[in-house]
Amino acid sequence: MSRYRKILKTAFASLLLIALVSFSNNVLAADGEALYKANCASCHKPDEDGTGPMLKGSRKREPNPEWAYKWVNNTTAMVETDPYAKALKAKYNNVIMSKFDLPKEDIKAILDWADAYTPPPPPGGGGAAGAPAEDNSLLFGILTLILALVALILLQVNSSLRKLSDEKDGVLRAEPVPFYKNKVYLMTGVIALFCFGGYKTINAAIGLGRMKNYQPQQPIYYSHKVHAGTNQINCLYCHSGAQDSKYSNIPSVNVCMNCHKAVKEYKGVDVLVREDGTPVNGTAEIQKLYSYAGWNPVTRTYDKPGTPIEWVKIHNLPDHVYFNHSQHIKVGKQNCQTCHGPIQEMGEVKQFSDLSMGWCINCHRESKVDFYNKETGEGNKFYSIYEKFHNDIKNGKMDSVTVEKIGGTECQKCHY
Amino acid sequence: MKRTKFFTVIATAVVLVSCGGGNDKPGKIYMPDMTYSRAVETYALLDSTKYTNDPAQIGEKIFYNSKPVIGTMSTSDLPPYTLSDDSAGYAQSAMVKNPLPPLDGKDSAEASRLFNINCAICHGAEGKANGPLATSGKVGGIVNLTLDQYVKLADGTMYHSINYGKNNMGSYASQLSSKQRWQIIQYVRMLQPKATATEAAATTTAPAADSSAAAKKTK
Repeated sequence: MSRYRKILKTAFASLLLIALVSFSNNVLAADGEALYKANCASCHKPDEDGTGPMLKGSRKREPNPEWAYKWVNNTTAMVETDPYAKALKAKYNNVIMSKFDLPKEDIKAILDWADAYTPPPPPGGGGAAGAPAEDNSLLFGILTLILALVALILLQVNSSLRKLSDEKDGVLRAEPVPFYKNKVYLMTGVIALFCFGGYKTINAAIGLGRMKNYQPQQPIYYSHKVHAGTNQINCLYCHSGAQDSKYSNIPSVNVCMNCHKAVKEYKGVDVLVREDGTPVNGTAEIQKLYSYAGWNPVTRTYDKPGTPIEWVKIHNLPDHVYFNHSQHIKVGKQNCQTCHGPIQEMGEVKQFSDLSMGWCINCHRESKVDFYNKETGEGNKFYSIYEKFHNDIKNGKMDSVTVEKIGGTECQKCHY
Repeated sequence: MKRTKFFTVIATAVVLVSCGGGNDKPGKIYMPDMTYSRAVETYALLDSTKYTNDPAQIGEKIFYNSKPVIGTMSTSDLPPYTLSDDSAGYAQSAMVKNPLPPLDGKDSAEASRLFNINCAICHGAEGKANGPLATSGKVGGIVNLTLDQYVKLADGTMYHSINYGKNNMGSYASQLSSKQRWQIIQYVRMLQPKATATEAAATTTAPAADSSAAAKKTK
């Protein structure tokens, strides 16, 4: 019994020791990471050159393993005297690292952490692409065809049987008229075609000049799904003009480069495909952006003249319609998605709404304005002048004011 | 006779149906001049036989490059920032004072909105370098604005960095007006720890010294 207890004790002690050792290791690694994030992360990356060189293996590249410890505490003096520091300064566009008064063990913890660093795997994994949605229309088509065939056979059988029974009973009937000479059939067919043709003609005539579902190929495959969906970038980050002007501006190349200076290749989880099913190489599309911007990702400088990207305009209103983005976004507080649809789920953008006049008017009839409440002072103060509505609300005749009520469907509001 | 009529109707129907077409073309329109504006509108391609953006061709064609005339400024914005985009300008920027009065309730809501649109994507809504692009590891080298070294960073230096960009960060001059940039700096001060923020207003020390002081603090 005591022997077992001894073994148990030893086992417990060793387990404790192992746990302790591994735990303390974790503490060290976490410390290195925390120190790195607090001090170094704005310029250095563990496994890639950024504003400064990558930290991984730095002690192997440097003249001697102790060099880094001297350098961090004494950058300003060493950059003038030390040949390796001079070379680094020249390589990184004459940017000199700030001096940090870190003790040697902290620097060691940072560099140890960087040496052991492995980039985290992309969440979700590459192979987990969603299966394409099953298209049931083919199945239904085949079923309909089979049923129609069965019906035809049954009709045939029915007429044969009747003929047989007629012969048996000795009843004489007139020879049946073939269906293409049957006046009832012909007339039904003509009326059906007239209705169908008329419906199609009118729809096509209304559709002239409307561009719903227009989805052109753009010079760069830019996925709103990746940027606005997965990465959660606000629409107004790039289209900042939408809140200030008539136009929602197409971002200039420098806005793209705000992030793409750092994002050099596409490693995201979303699979990039065009509408016709051809796969897109995200990294090659970022390279296209670099060539438009004249950016050299190796030297991190703009070394060529940039050219604007000629994006294809999708949403177009005729010359005789006035539409102002800022009015709808700032005052009306509308979401972009109200008119542009689920943009954050679109790979290539398509026109979601038909931008017809009926569509505008419908929304103006239904949308409520941020009407000024005289008691609480809430709402847009501009509406304080609408005396009649204020009285009607007070007397309970109406509970809210729509855009139409304040003149949002008058012709001259948009056509002038 | 009847049969030919019947087939004509079918043929017409087929033609009408096939008018649909693919989605990569804008489709048919009644009047091109009305649908596609002939006036000088944003992003409209100018007639290259009449207009030019090359100053050498002034006289032969109408010069138009849609840029403001050099030396002019917007009447609705603050005076332009004059320090140059180099290390000398960066050093001098600490002396520049924030021209705006303290944020009132409405302005701080607007500054918060602007910060969340333009900055929070990397720096995080609390300024702790935990925005979506930072936590997913897509953009590296994002600054935690609540660290002591940035609390002590002068307003002017922060403006310089927003105006011209710094390291991985690009310039925000094209997205935010000068007033909005200063407002965002005021909002960043609100996010930063309070006790040290008051010191920051007084201090104008050089950033190198700041970072060493910050390093001492983080130990």
